[in-house]
Amino acid sequence: MNRGLVGASLLALVLVIIGVVAAYFGTRYQLRLVYSAYVNLLVVLGLQVFMGNARVTNLSHSAFMGIGAYAAAICVTPQNIKAISLPDAPWGLNTFALDPVTSALIAIAVTGLIAFLVGIVIVRLSGIGATIVSLAVLVIIHSLFLYRTDIFKGNQAFFGIPQVFSLTSVVILAVIVVFATRLFRESRWGIALRASADDEVGASTMGVNIYRLRLIAWVMSGVLLAIAGIAYAYYLGTISARPFYFNHVFLTLAMLILGGMRTITGAVLGCFLISFGLEWVRWLETGPLLLGIDLPEALGLSGIALGAVIVLTMALRPGGIMGEREIEDFILKS
Amino acid sequence: MLERRGHNGPAFRFSKEMLSVDNLEVFHGPIKAVHGISFKIDAGQCVALLGPNGAGKTSTISAITGIARATGQVLFEGSDISKTPVEARIQRGISVSPEGRRVFANLTVEENLRLGSAASDSNTKTSIAEFFDTFPILGERRHQSAGTLSGGEQQMLAIARALIAKPRILLLDEPSLGLAPKIVGQIFSLIGDLKAKGITILLVEQNAAQALRLSDYVYFLNNGRIAAEGTAESLGKSDTLMAELTGIS
Amino acid sequence: MEYLAQQMMNAFAFGAEYALLALGLAIVFSIMGLVNFAHGEMIAVGGYSMVAMAALSLGNPMIVIGFALLAAVVASVTLERVAFRPVRYADPTTGLLTAFGVSIILQNLFLLLVSPRPIAVTSLYFLEWSIPIGMVSISSLQLFEALTTIIVIVALMLFLRQTSLGLAMRAAALDFEMVRLTGIRANRVFAMAFMISGMLAGIACIFIMARRGSVDPHLGFDPVLKAFVACVVGGFGSLPGAVLGGFLLGVVEVAMLVLLPQSLGGMTDAFVFGIIALVLVWRPNGILAARAEKGDKQ
Repeated sequence: MNRGLVGASLLALVLVIIGVVAAYFGTRYQLRLVYSAYVNLLVVLGLQVFMGNARVTNLSHSAFMGIGAYAAAICVTPQNIKAISLPDAPWGLNTFALDPVTSALIAIAVTGLIAFLVGIVIVRLSGIGATIVSLAVLVIIHSLFLYRTDIFKGNQAFFGIPQVFSLTSVVILAVIVVFATRLFRESRWGIALRASADDEVGASTMGVNIYRLRLIAWVMSGVLLAIAGIAYAYYLGTISARPFYFNHVFLTLAMLILGGMRTITGAVLGCFLISFGLEWVRWLETGPLLLGIDLPEALGLSGIALGAVIVLTMALRPGGIMGEREIEDFILKS
Repeated sequence: MLERRGHNGPAFRFSKEMLSVDNLEVFHGPIKAVHGISFKIDAGQCVALLGPNGAGKTSTISAITGIARATGQVLFEGSDISKTPVEARIQRGISVSPEGRRVFANLTVEENLRLGSAASDSNTKTSIAEFFDTFPILGERRHQSAGTLSGGEQQMLAIARALIAKPRILLLDEPSLGLAPKIVGQIFSLIGDLKAKGITILLVEQNAAQALRLSDYVYFLNNGRIAAEGTAESLGKSDTLMAELTGIS
Repeated sequence: MEYLAQQMMNAFAFGAEYALLALGLAIVFSIMGLVNFAHGEMIAVGGYSMVAMAALSLGNPMIVIGFALLAAVVASVTLERVAFRPVRYADPTTGLLTAFGVSIILQNLFLLLVSPRPIAVTSLYFLEWSIPIGMVSISSLQLFEALTTIIVIVALMLFLRQTSLGLAMRAAALDFEMVRLTGIRANRVFAMAFMISGMLAGIACIFIMARRGSVDPHLGFDPVLKAFVACVVGGFGSLPGAVLGGFLLGVVEVAMLVLLPQSLGGMTDAFVFGIIALVLVWRPNGILAARAEKGDKQ
């Protein structure tokens, strides 16, 4: 547990330093980039709680992020804006507006409840079954976002969300979540869950209720994803359904895989490596002038890069860069 | 050491070397299960590897078939097969009846045998019919799925599946494990018949008494090393070793 | 009466398509524990091969169909060699994520090299006409699809029971190492599994293309997601389970299309998956769960 605190503190330090450097030296565009890296870090950490401990691949995480973002957005957006953007909203959703904190709490509760209901089915399935069903969940939730345009506005912008978050807020959030996920990993539950993932039969004979543990991790993951979604909505002020679908799923998945899903350090490392690396690929994608050669526009290059990251990591280093190591393992002696 | 052993053994009827293993080390992940053992089997011999659980017997078999990661040399009929893939070793004439029998439970008895002969050139149809003469019980159950057979029948099927490829050498890994004493007797009399037909056999066993009776030469493994070796008669004379081998004092 | 017969035919045709794809997934999974997310891209490869045929103005339907099948098979076998060999004996999660990555790469390659937009393919429209049978008239395409699926299932069964390689594939589902210990080359078994899988995807591709008439980078996603769900419901790794799951999904989907009011039209899949989730609450390992015990496979 103490090692966990040391490790989490070291990571927190890194997060704060990156945040401070960005705040002082970053351009507006770079600030936005760093902000989205932090939001994705929240997502990756939320993903890690379930995937890293239960060792079951989840593909629905972006949808839960979306639920959190939309729930908070619906609560917090002022009535006059909702009257324009959601004129046909059912259940009087456009007749009230709450303060950001209450809205965020409601959004977390709603996402947690939905995660709980989905989790009841997911945690009982075998690893592969759970992955497929999580994919189906992603599709279901996305189609809800798309077809209930009266509530979510589908692919159109849901605008007018008060922009109450800054880079500072998301750095603080990220630090808190790093501590939470790291402490969960080292907790009795986390250890039991990881043991059960390595040896399901053995763990269950030792009296570990795997389903309950998985459900706890799953719901916790859902809550963290909701927080990520809220941070996303509160900063941008505008959301739509598209960012909560496939592209985001495999972006964040690639981050977790590259860094190593088994550790928090891996999640942080993978997130920043890909966030910044991808920016370079995106620049290539636009067809820039490189070394005097006018490169053609190459839409899809970033997707190929992400896919390649996943495939190569799996082939060469299935545990990711970090494997089983956390940051403090480089400093402290075991 | 090899020479001394090779030419002084009184039970050797053939001098042609079938399989020899030199300084074999076998690994399970990071753990070394076998620490540099050497032994050899001449054509037509039945050689036994005895020893307690965890002595490295099955690891040695796995290294000979190529399933386990190993260093050292495995010579088969004079050529080095240490780097040869598993399938090619089998095709060259090494057949194995593995620990735990591992019959294909979802296939019928006949399908198990067809699979056993699939990789060899021999004419499958006739040889399966021949086999049912040798193993009448399997013939009776030819259309039953292998999972429904009794333990003894499954062991026979596993041996039959290995034999049908007409191997140069037969590796038998714990053929008596978990079987009732009466069935164990049947299995060993079957192995005796095979030996009488001149089939070269490497037998891995915990049931030392039965194995000693059948074998020309015996290696006793402990903790991944050869702790003792000799002809069955010479080992049989050592009371302390016998006590250790058979568990009877 | 006519309406009912029509809908039953629809359900059967949908189910046949899902069953074909689910079989392709199950056959690879049963042997190497790989959840092949890139299966959908084999369908897209078939579709783009038709575009290529049209560009070369080769209109002969037999050539178009044959080439699409060939393309899907070659792509599938190539993937096995290039991408899945390093993770052949890895744990299922590693394989699953590799396949996921491969799928992303292929989709983006289509996007990069061809076009992000749908491309029309009209060469297979000839497969669709209306056959009057008594009072009802059914679609020839659906009839072809149902018949082809039945033939494919029978052929696959014969292959798995009669040939050595087929036996090896069934045995490999239980104990691959032991199959190698009988001297059958692992590479051949894997290659055959992917060949069959690609062939099944190619066949499904022909029907999908004949119905949709266009191909885009995400062509395979929807049908393969359904096929995955069919596999999970039937019991992952079980071939009969894949077929059963496929047809069950077809029936549920058509029932939803018929029963749901117009206003919920876009939500059909959500309802289909919801119902399927209930089946999984009842039987978490699928209806015909494979016999392999937990901890049995490495």
